[in-house]
Amino acid sequence: MSAAAGSGKNAQERALVLVALLFLAPALILWVPVLKGAQDLKDDIGRPFPLPARTPERIVSMAPNITEILFALGLGDRVAGVTRFCDYPPETRSLRRIGGLVDPNIEVIQSLDPDLVIAFRGNPLRLVDRIGKLGLPVFVLDIGEGLEALFPLIAKIGRVTRTEDRADDLAAELRSRLEAVDIAMLGIASRPKVFVLLYGQGLWTCGGESYVDDLIGRSGGTNVASSLPKKWALYKRERILKDDPDVIFILARSSEDFTAGRDWLLRTAGVASVAAVKSGRIYELDENAASRFGPRLLDILDRVAKLLHPERFGERP
Amino acid sequence: MSRKTGRRLFWAACLVLCLAGFLVSLLVGPVRTTPGDLLRFIQSPDRVQSAIFIDLRLSRAVLAFLVGAALALSGAILQGYFRNPMADPFVVGVSSGASLGAVVAASLGFEAAVFGFSGPGLLAFLSGLAIVSLVYALSLRRGGFKVETILLTGIAAGALASALTSFFLFMRSDSYDQAVFWLLGSFQLAEWGQVATIAPWVVLCLLASAWLARDMDLLALGDETAQALGCPVRRVRKVFLAMSALLAALAVAVSGIIGFVGLVVPHWVRILIGPGHRALFVSSALAGGTFLLYCDLLARNLLAAELPIGVITAAVGAPFFLYLLHKKR
Repeated sequence: MSAAAGSGKNAQERALVLVALLFLAPALILWVPVLKGAQDLKDDIGRPFPLPARTPERIVSMAPNITEILFALGLGDRVAGVTRFCDYPPETRSLRRIGGLVDPNIEVIQSLDPDLVIAFRGNPLRLVDRIGKLGLPVFVLDIGEGLEALFPLIAKIGRVTRTEDRADDLAAELRSRLEAVDIAMLGIASRPKVFVLLYGQGLWTCGGESYVDDLIGRSGGTNVASSLPKKWALYKRERILKDDPDVIFILARSSEDFTAGRDWLLRTAGVASVAAVKSGRIYELDENAASRFGPRLLDILDRVAKLLHPERFGERP
Repeated sequence: MSRKTGRRLFWAACLVLCLAGFLVSLLVGPVRTTPGDLLRFIQSPDRVQSAIFIDLRLSRAVLAFLVGAALALSGAILQGYFRNPMADPFVVGVSSGASLGAVVAASLGFEAAVFGFSGPGLLAFLSGLAIVSLVYALSLRRGGFKVETILLTGIAAGALASALTSFFLFMRSDSYDQAVFWLLGSFQLAEWGQVATIAPWVVLCLLASAWLARDMDLLALGDETAQALGCPVRRVRKVFLAMSALLAALAVAVSGIIGFVGLVVPHWVRILIGPGHRALFVSSALAGGTFLLYCDLLARNLLAAELPIGVITAAVGAPFFLYLLHKKR
């Protein structure tokens, strides 16, 4: 009697456990990726970052390219603060300024009470740490050495803002534009030598570690400063004369800047004898888009590819 | 007016200015806050305001005060030590040595934090102390110990350290913000951890220097006379040198090089209250702290972007110093 009651109780318990398991199993299966995701997410300086459950509502962006990507992901209305350099898209101009890249103001950031701060590697790390110590979630991103690095960057921003789907769409769109240029450049006969001038102080250009170097390569050109193991470098006058570039691009903020840069190059810099000057192949690149590691680099890629190889785009050479 | 009332007046003025300085520091910043906000915050704290008032503004004000006190006390000690009004933490090479350590650490990417110091802060502290020990050892080797030798060795070592610092900064052209921080000082990154790290040492050195002040008074008469009057000259000198080096190295480690405080504040105080060392040490610490508190207020509020505090200390300190000097004459 007591044994039977005992076994009945056992059976009951077993049934209960079974039912409980049946209910729990889907929950567990649903939870596993979430838990795994939380462990997986790391920022670009290798720090683990807890994945937010929902899209953050007050995001502070500490770099112009991050601001652009956030807007491209449709998160414009969730951006609470940007740097004084963030001017694209135009909607950013009405947003609260947190300071510059190297001098963001911690107090202003704190007063915005952000639930996500996206910093970039060019912000002083000590400052980024100080913001983290206030208990604000700071996610640090780097910029890459080539256009390919745009995709992980966008994916990470999509991940940390929980807009993975839109990030996939944006990446796919950019990917198709990148591939269109790659295809157009298949089997090109020549690779014009390119010199990129960052107009401002002297002969600053982009070295081999710069994404601009990669961009020129993909556009079917050769960056003459490619062998310099730097992102940005001051180039020597004699080397330009020796390299004899076929095309010169000037990164300028406005057409006046471009004209001033071209005049400076022709008159003062002493490089008037190179091929690009003789053939008049000196072109303007929008510095605003080209100096930011964001989606608009594809516009620059299109423009550079068409200027270097017009024959590949059904235009007259 | 007797010296005693003068002294009391000076202390009262310093205390009032100091308290006012803390209050203004709490109220003024890039985010607009009113006294009403502060009162409401004290009655019912909320998270964002607590971060702004306590974590950012108060910690910064306290740290500025402590560093000012440390630098001024270090300067007051060194001026007595060398019997020379030109002495300050720069002359024995502490400041330059400390900034060298910081910049080397930053160049090597040594960023981890240890005991409330950042990596560069810790190395700044160690190299500041190391350079003073080196200067002291070099000065000792020439048989007897002479004050002039240590002064000149210190200046030479400091110049060497400055040259190396510039070299490392030049090699890393991307670390401009770091360079400005270590060469001109800033409290932008102040936090309670730093306060907790340096506060005990500043208090300890202040107490010890006040306790030993009588011996410093005797040293002013010359080492032989002091010895004859029963002052253990060698030991006292060692302790004072160690304390001034410690104070200056701690200050540089948390806030970079801040010039002028260590040189000028003890002078002001001496002009105002006289040369007795006990009062001089305590008053220098109080006045130095208050001075730096106001300088930091200017540094963070004068322009939209923050100014390095070294710019302010020199710009404000020098004219006022000249004025006092000429009024005295």
